[in-house]
Amino acid sequence: MAILEVKKLKVSFRTNNGTVKAVRDISFSLEKGKTLAIVGESGSGKSVTSKAILGISAGNAIIESGEIIYDGKDLIKCTEKDMYHIRGDKIAMIFQDPLSSLNPIVRIGKQITEAMLLKNKAKQKESKHDFTVMLSNLRKAMHETSIKNNLDASSIDKLLEEFQQFVIIANKKMISFEASSEAMSDASSLLKDIIIKVDHKYHLDLVGQIKVIKHKLSLCKDRYFVLDISEDLNKINDSLNKVLATISKNIDNDFADENKFEIIQSNLHFVDNAFDTILSRTNLDFFSLGYLLHKDKSFEAKSYSMSYDEINAIALKYLDENFMPTFNKYTSDALYHSVYKTLEFKKEVVNFLKDFKKIINVESFDKKVIKEHIANLKPLINLSIDPLKTQKDSAVLILCNSLLIDTKKIFKAVKLNKKDERRYNRQIARYNKKIESGKKVDYKVAPQKTIDLADIVNDMHASIDSAIEKYESTIKKFDDHKYQKWEKISRLLFEYLKEKAHDSVYKLTKSAAKEKAIKLMEEVSIPEARSRFYQYPFEFSGGMRQRIVIAIALSAEPEILICDEPTTALDVTIQSQILELINELKARRNLSIIFITHDLGVVANMADDIAVMYAGKIVEIGKAEEIFYSPAHPYTWALLSSMPDLDTKEKLETIPGTPPNMIYPPKGDAFAARNKYALKIDFEEQPPMFKISDTHYAATWLLDPRAPKVEMPKIIKDRIERMKQKHSLGGNSDEK
Amino acid sequence: MKNNEEVLLSIEHLCQYFRLNHKDFKAVDDVSFNIKKGEVFGLVGESGCGKTTTGRSIIKLYNITSGNIYFKGIRIGAGIRSYKEEIASLKAKLKKLKNQLKNNEISGDEFYREYEGIIKKIDLLKIEILKAKHDQKNVDKDYSAYLVKEVNSKYEQLLKSAKTEEEIASLKAQMKKELSIAKKSKIVTSIQMIFQDPIGSLNPRMTVQEIISEGLIVKGIKDKKYIQEKVYEVLELVGLVKEHATRYPHEFSGGQRQRIGIARSIIMEPDMIIADEPVSALDVSIQAQVINLLNELRDKLGLTILFIAHDLSVVKYFSDRIGVMYFGKLVELASSEELFKNPLHPYTKSLLSAIPLPDPEYEKKRVRITYNPIIEHDYSHDKPSMREVSPGHFVYCNDSEEAKYKEILAKQ
Repeated sequence: MAILEVKKLKVSFRTNNGTVKAVRDISFSLEKGKTLAIVGESGSGKSVTSKAILGISAGNAIIESGEIIYDGKDLIKCTEKDMYHIRGDKIAMIFQDPLSSLNPIVRIGKQITEAMLLKNKAKQKESKHDFTVMLSNLRKAMHETSIKNNLDASSIDKLLEEFQQFVIIANKKMISFEASSEAMSDASSLLKDIIIKVDHKYHLDLVGQIKVIKHKLSLCKDRYFVLDISEDLNKINDSLNKVLATISKNIDNDFADENKFEIIQSNLHFVDNAFDTILSRTNLDFFSLGYLLHKDKSFEAKSYSMSYDEINAIALKYLDENFMPTFNKYTSDALYHSVYKTLEFKKEVVNFLKDFKKIINVESFDKKVIKEHIANLKPLINLSIDPLKTQKDSAVLILCNSLLIDTKKIFKAVKLNKKDERRYNRQIARYNKKIESGKKVDYKVAPQKTIDLADIVNDMHASIDSAIEKYESTIKKFDDHKYQKWEKISRLLFEYLKEKAHDSVYKLTKSAAKEKAIKLMEEVSIPEARSRFYQYPFEFSGGMRQRIVIAIALSAEPEILICDEPTTALDVTIQSQILELINELKARRNLSIIFITHDLGVVANMADDIAVMYAGKIVEIGKAEEIFYSPAHPYTWALLSSMPDLDTKEKLETIPGTPPNMIYPPKGDAFAARNKYALKIDFEEQPPMFKISDTHYAATWLLDPRAPKVEMPKIIKDRIERMKQKHSLGGNSDEK
Repeated sequence: MKNNEEVLLSIEHLCQYFRLNHKDFKAVDDVSFNIKKGEVFGLVGESGCGKTTTGRSIIKLYNITSGNIYFKGIRIGAGIRSYKEEIASLKAKLKKLKNQLKNNEISGDEFYREYEGIIKKIDLLKIEILKAKHDQKNVDKDYSAYLVKEVNSKYEQLLKSAKTEEEIASLKAQMKKELSIAKKSKIVTSIQMIFQDPIGSLNPRMTVQEIISEGLIVKGIKDKKYIQEKVYEVLELVGLVKEHATRYPHEFSGGQRQRIGIARSIIMEPDMIIADEPVSALDVSIQAQVINLLNELRDKLGLTILFIAHDLSVVKYFSDRIGVMYFGKLVELASSEELFKNPLHPYTKSLLSAIPLPDPEYEKKRVRITYNPIIEHDYSHDKPSMREVSPGHFVYCNDSEEAKYKEILAKQ
């Protein structure tokens, strides 16, 4: 399944000398859990593509056309506010130079936790908003259903009132629980810091530190938190007291006395283990517990004698039996109602759009009518969108804006075209007059620069068509009134509300973020993560710095990781370490990776698919094996033959010349001027993508059946032969 | 040219320490190797292992801590740390002897004999220190004085044999010119350096002509026409054209900039070039151009090159012999074929296992060998040194390891 799709993307830069066409019409898709490598020389538009995906293009960049589709959304048309939720959260990036992407005067730990804390704060606020909006939408839909079915609305109000109330109770309980657990995790991380110092026999004020830990422990007062662990807490206190007792006889706490040192060490380690087990136990399901407490006030006293698992089971069962059936019934009805209500509007929108499409044509273009239509379309589309979010309708939401922009373009073009036409006629008339009178003319009239209105209209038609298609498919899905999954959807809605309720009170504390960051650092194999947490970037070597950048990128648990030449600044051994790390993380977290590099050798290990870019275009795309064992495009040949490998003896083949100036991109194949296999047609027309196999495409006229047969250069052929031989040899030895 | 046995550059026990937090940071520690005339010597290792420092020490960008550098048989660099340490140890010995005499452990005769020997040794070492200091400081002066003498003696005879006054006048003018060049010439200028970063190493305010000819002007050549011709010649040699001479560095692409860097170094007609990662900062396609260019120049001009890089496939392609460095120490030295066929030192093995190849199937199976010196070696009793395990193949090892390596080689 493709997780990210780039379709016909065109990006250019406005500069003093003219517009540089950096990316010209590229399309690719990234599969879930796979790596796509983009390979090319510098200036081929690799990084521009990746920056366009993240929406961090330079200020003078213009995205001319194209779509970047992620999660049903077009990232190009997304507002900046929407991009906040995607950038870093869903799609993260690792830059080439680790030092320039780290702040030199801020400690590593702060840089890793910074994003986590900020995101948590934003999420809290947003969840609160989402929760209330969704609830009010639900209430509205329920009321409408009850009116339609002549039911009593008061029971609905009662139900939702109940819902809200028990959510509040649950939240209260959770906040107090979390305050305790925070104190505990504070104590734990403090203890871990102390243990490191004790193990290394550092001089430190152990008495003071332990007193702080004891104070923190005394803050764990929440009865639900202390429930299972009161015995453990006593043991911990005993151990800490023992440590204090040992030290008090020897206030200097020099650890010269091995016996004493061992007592202190073992006790601290015991406490540490106890903390770990306490912090890692399963949490209470406060959501269902809230309902139970709301209904049955006496349960709270009873529950103090039960274990977590028992409480969870009872609460869940109670919720399922008493609340869910009614809630499900009402929400299913409401969902059903809301979907079919919006379905009517959807049909209307489809009809409207169909009419609208007829109005937009090149011949009769009335400004007033179109503006009116768009103004009418807006409220209609708003009505047609399901407030309960059963479908993703973002493509349609964006439609209005893109239509508006396109119409503006048309009006501008009409104006400009007329002007240019007049200029052209005037100049050509003067020109002809001069020629007729027999004068010598030493200039040419600049050709007419008119913008093709049909193109813009086609664009508009295409976006309208896609919207219609989308709506028609949903209409088809629901039209026969047989859609049976309401139960499931209502359950999903319930889960959604539950999650939002949880998120709106969940607070990530600094110490919890620190523990999380240390875990991340350990995941990217930084040794002694705890003591390195407080170091500055300059104290790390190049490879370690890159690991930290990776850790920061992973801190938001993204789905897609874009690596922009992550190893170019590193040397061979560290490069292979980092590549191994990225591969490992990919497997562990099921990441999808876009890997940008100019070194084909690096890619062989990493990539599942490879796209070779040249002058803003993809010239060859295919599976890694296909690119390496049967390359088809002359540029790929040139790249492969220009790098020496361990068995190369011959003179290296170089690519003559430099990449073309992208202000004036060449008319035909951009690589033709540097290509010794170039045909005549290469200079005249751009080659299309020829299909070699289902996954392997290349844009070169050499693949045309009419073209002369050209073999790939000897140096590559020999190398591939050699590699194949090696594999067959290797295979045989394995069998033996 | 590969059979040429004439040693051009010889490095003996080169140490380069830096002062860091009141401690010696050993960037290069006891490195010795010879570079023969006309060969390409590759130096590889991870970043921070001291490759670049070695290169810079050779052309005297740093004052070396100890060791000797001989170029064409002339000592161009010398350090005094090793002598000082020896003197200190001798003085300690002397003190011990005096104590022994006080406690009547040795007779006066014995003491006197020993004492005299040690004092003599110390005196010799002190002279060595003076010599080293002199060489380190005045080698260029001595060289230019020697050249001036040569020129003088050459023209003395010519002037004697000259008859007409015109002839004498022209000869005198010529002599004056040559003398001024001889006075300013330095031996170190026949070693030139190419730097890693083509953008950072070219002055953005100078035209290409100015950049390339700067060396000649410093050398004392004033003939503008000659300089211009020379610049054009060199530009052609590196694959650029005359028109480029008036442009500024920012107008060139990365590969062309590196060509300018190369042109700047070969205009001095050096015998040796130190190429410090000349292709690391370049794109793959341009890398090939620069490597081919260096190869051509080497054939045309008979250059000797010290090639410093971390990309092993490039080094293998380009060099005749390769030295592998690890944390300031040379751990293995062999001809490039031999090194890749029979890597002996565990660090070399780990380096070789890290090379990426354009071969997906091989890459998926590739296992990287990690190198941890603490686990690999036990140097607590048996101290290691550079030893020749087979002709031309040196490994840094101790006795037991040497035996092991020899066994491995014998098996094949």
